[in-house]
Amino acid sequence: MQLDMTLTESGRVGTIKLNGYLDAGNAPGLDELVADAAQKYDHLVLDMEGLEYVSSAGLRIFKRAYLDMAKKKGTLSAKNVHGNVMDILEMTGFTRMFKLI
Amino acid sequence: MDSLAVQAEIAELDKVNDFVLGKLERFDCDKNTLLQIRLAVEEIFVNIASYAYAPQKGTAEIRCEILADPLRVVLQFLDSGKPFDPLAKEDADISKDGLLGRTGGLGIFLVKETMDNVAYTYEGGKNILTILKKIRG
Repeated sequence: MQLDMTLTESGRVGTIKLNGYLDAGNAPGLDELVADAAQKYDHLVLDMEGLEYVSSAGLRIFKRAYLDMAKKKGTLSAKNVHGNVMDILEMTGFTRMFKLI
Repeated sequence: MDSLAVQAEIAELDKVNDFVLGKLERFDCDKNTLLQIRLAVEEIFVNIASYAYAPQKGTAEIRCEILADPLRVVLQFLDSGKPFDPLAKEDADISKDGLLGRTGGLGIFLVKETMDNVAYTYEGGKNILTILKKIRG
């Protein structure tokens, strides 16, 4: 499936905008982008307004990003979470891990 | 019952999704139900692709049947890999520390949470995982 990801930066904050479906097929590409961004920025924001679907392959990326950011005393936030993606984050307890904005 | 046989590889995931969602197209299912079915299909197929035959390769078969009154879909996933009952594992611990402490089990946890029934059998040298989801009524 199609997943578009765009990284924008504003000072020490990196924002990755996700559009489409995040599944096991396209997770490796996002994994790399998120890992690099977690190194580079103090605060990482995932904008999920256009994200329609996430599976455990995506959740594993979120979790690693959380751990990377926690290690350097930064933050990981999720923005505009909705619909099925919110259901999945709630079901798995991931809403407690993210700072939801 | 319609059936699709593919190589058990993540690269085949789109083909598996297209097969299952194609069968549901004419039933006017709500979007969230379709996304939940897509999720269960992905988690189960990716488990087979990742573990059933590793480090060798093999095939997976997906069977799809639509039942009436109430309208529901039954999906079966078959592989000839190592006998493995994914339901025998304890559920993923979703407390915050548990989440951080472990990586496994999330996929099958999601399948159990979103489907109406999930069952495993080992028959004729095959792992058979059957899921059922009501799609209306």
